Amino acid sequence: MYEISLLTVMCFSVIFALSLNLITGFCGQISLGHAAFYGIGAYTAALFTTDGGSFWLALPLAMAVAGFFGFIVGFASLRVRHDFLAITTMGVGFLFTGFVRQQEFLGGEEGIAGIPDPGIGQIPYMLLCAVLAAAVIAFSLYVKRSWMGHAFDAIATDEDTARTLGIDVARYKLTAFVFGTALAGLAGALFAHYVKFVEVESFDFIESISVLAMVIVGGIGSVWGVVVAAAFLSVMPLLLQVFADFKLLFYGVLLFAVMYFAPGGIDSLMRMLWRRISGRRTAG
Amino acid sequence: MTSWKFSIAAVAAVALTASAASADTIKIGFNTPQTGFAAADGKSVLTGAQIAIDTVNAAGGVNGKKLELIVYDDQAKPKFAVPIATKLIQQDKVAMGISGSYSAPTRASAGVYQNAKVPYVSAFAVHPDITRAGNYVFRTGILGSVLGKAAAKLVGEKLGKKRVVITIMKNDYGKALAAGFKSVMANYGIQVVKEYQYSLRDRQFGPIVSSIKGDNPDAIFDTGYWFVAAPFVSQLRAGGVKAVVVAQEGYDGVKFIEIAKKAAEGVIIVTALDRDSKDPAVRKFMTEFKKRTGYGADMVGASGHAAVMVAAAALKKAGSTDRAAIRDALATIKVDAITGTLSFNKLGEVQKSLKVQEVRGGGWHYHSEITDAKLLTPPDK
Amino acid sequence: MNYSDLLVQGLVEGCIYALIAVGLTLVYGLLRILHIAHAGIFTLGAYVGLLLTNETGSFAAAFVITVVAVGFFGMAFYRLFYEPLLDKPPHVALIASIGLFVAMEEIYRIVFGATSISFLAPPLKETVEVAGVRLEEGRIVVVILAVVLIGGLAVLAGRTRIGIAWRATVSDAAMAESFGIDLARVRYINFFVASALAAAAGIMVALLLNQVIPTMGGVPAYKALAIIVLGGLGNVKGTLIAALALGVIESFGTIYLDDVLDRDAIAFAFLIAVLMIRPQGLFSRR
Repeated sequence: MYEISLLTVMCFSVIFALSLNLITGFCGQISLGHAAFYGIGAYTAALFTTDGGSFWLALPLAMAVAGFFGFIVGFASLRVRHDFLAITTMGVGFLFTGFVRQQEFLGGEEGIAGIPDPGIGQIPYMLLCAVLAAAVIAFSLYVKRSWMGHAFDAIATDEDTARTLGIDVARYKLTAFVFGTALAGLAGALFAHYVKFVEVESFDFIESISVLAMVIVGGIGSVWGVVVAAAFLSVMPLLLQVFADFKLLFYGVLLFAVMYFAPGGIDSLMRMLWRRISGRRTAG
Repeated sequence: MTSWKFSIAAVAAVALTASAASADTIKIGFNTPQTGFAAADGKSVLTGAQIAIDTVNAAGGVNGKKLELIVYDDQAKPKFAVPIATKLIQQDKVAMGISGSYSAPTRASAGVYQNAKVPYVSAFAVHPDITRAGNYVFRTGILGSVLGKAAAKLVGEKLGKKRVVITIMKNDYGKALAAGFKSVMANYGIQVVKEYQYSLRDRQFGPIVSSIKGDNPDAIFDTGYWFVAAPFVSQLRAGGVKAVVVAQEGYDGVKFIEIAKKAAEGVIIVTALDRDSKDPAVRKFMTEFKKRTGYGADMVGASGHAAVMVAAAALKKAGSTDRAAIRDALATIKVDAITGTLSFNKLGEVQKSLKVQEVRGGGWHYHSEITDAKLLTPPDK
Repeated sequence: MNYSDLLVQGLVEGCIYALIAVGLTLVYGLLRILHIAHAGIFTLGAYVGLLLTNETGSFAAAFVITVVAVGFFGMAFYRLFYEPLLDKPPHVALIASIGLFVAMEEIYRIVFGATSISFLAPPLKETVEVAGVRLEEGRIVVVILAVVLIGGLAVLAGRTRIGIAWRATVSDAAMAESFGIDLARVRYINFFVASALAAAAGIMVALLLNQVIPTMGGVPAYKALAIIVLGGLGNVKGTLIAALALGVIESFGTIYLDDVLDRDAIAFAFLIAVLMIRPQGLFSRR
């Protein structure tokens, strides 16, 4: 059903957005090329299952391959910082699409079709995505409160200070990249088996921007804010069909407006609202 | 500004069709890019389709009911095409669907339509695998491989050119054209001097042009779309390459000539639309299209028109909105559309004769026709 | 294969990249903002220049008016959209800029239509032969423009009061302010110059291709980002060299690298390779 279809999209988008939130939100390493890892996961899973591999094995395999490439790109984050890192990761995204376009075994510009159905039916597939999304939410909340989360936070705030505090900056950055990209790979594998067709345009720069937008609109580093933003933004173009002509414009204006008026995103808006409500309660 | 007014009208139309769902109409689903990078083609195909809908409804509709197009914007992205197909089938309960979109979204939604056993007609998406989704999927556009074969006949036999350079646009369309061309070129004594590839985002062809100059071919067979082709042909002529340029449907639009200007003169294409046709349906389509969009008709618009006409004929023949009956009707139908007389083979591919058009005096004009039925037979599995 | 042809084609392309990228690096040098919406300003220049030419019939007049007008537009753009964000963390301006770019492309599509528009009578289309290489006049004009505009800028920066004020602000804004330099004014002029250059590039690209579409800014803009990073963010001389080098590398790459990597990815492959060896770009300021 249509609603199930939308819910499925929401669930793997939440996983994808939270995966970037680990890197950019928690650890402060901006990435403009995250769609490449989503793509690596999708292509890995697609190749594996079209070749007769099991869907259940495809998921961890997609995570492993995406995480492996994430580990390599993580080294880049040890070399370059801030704006240089933003452009380097953007370059990784372009390199991914530029490479895939020329490779026959990846279907080139045409992509890979005929990805087999996981064979569990539409509703169970949605539930599977939902369970995995819930697990990723729980994992994010856990990491945020753990010692690792504090180390990430220290690196995001000020890398040099974190280093003087004795935090192994390199190790934590690499960890963030591996976790984040592996989860993006998982989201990609789920995406591939939902659309049953992957092509390189689905993982281009615009897609990287879209997922970054989910993290930023949600509130960088906030778990629940990002979940809400990802769920909303992923299906917004489908819900706004009535305003067909203006929805991309709306999207652009929304990105700008959030940065202009509420750089903390949904998270800071919710907090403000909460403070007002609880403030009134204590006053009254 | 006409285009501005048009967008408002289009939005209004989309809004209306989305809300005004009544029982006295037959609903046809239509996915097309209206925003994003593919919006220009989306606008053309939707205009063509709406002209056809209006023509059918003005003549009293089908089986006593008016046709209604339910239009959703897929931004030419598979990730939107899948939920849109689901929505059209399950919520809007369309009798059948038409793809007014590119290959990628069409391939993704063809599977959804096939699984739900709802007929789906691709207007201009060209990937060969689309109709292989199953027996509910049809295509009114002609396959790249068939066009490529026809182009080889044109180059080798009609024009008598033997030393050919092929320039291949790196997507399904360009590759299929080149493969089709090469599969039969030996029959016409053609020899390929060299092949080049470019992406459909390329606009600067300086390096390729300098290289072609050294190859000194008799003809160039190009497989690109008009927006890539116009700068390409201009740069070829500016670079002093005089070989005749032979191309295909992707060039077929007034925009190509508007951009390439003088350089466009003498370009010859294999296509489905004859702009010098005396057929009143073609003439009406051309004037109506110009009136609605502010620019001259293109092949994409004509395919949208043809796809709706085929749908209308199938609905009429089926006599009901039973999806299996519509499928059976499609499989055996024969329709006189503006892109030729259309009928489907058992794979759902179309067989028709082709027109050769040439740029003369700043416009597309009749050159000849290709009717070799054996050459134009599409694959049936 | 004619190597001099490839070299000249590459240099012309490099000049276009330079016109776009110099503005981008000027903005970064002064404000530390990755100004993605610069691509939107480039496209605006293309539209305005083309429509004015078709309206007035004079390409030269339209060119001058567009460059000046878009320059002022750039100032207003800075005042409205960037100035209020200056004290926020850098990612805020970056994302805001991406949002603005998306919105601008959509506004062009809604206002001017999704389909391309062309010059009614494109000028500078004759070809001339320079040192054995046939070139369209328009391409020669691109090279002249790049030399005159960017060269003129270099002279201004070195010899005039405002140029010296600009350089002082780039190297240390707080220090410059304490010497009585009006920071706001320097920033306005900076955006004027950057936007005017982008507009000039926009019109010339529009003329060379004889088509303007809403999304034409995308690819050159992304490459310009790679170029300014290669040039060592904020370094004008480095940006120029990187722009020309990329033009030439792409030109040869189109013929010789095509089986491995898409042309548009060459810039980024080069960029990543350089950054891994020199994290501050080829030409860092320090």
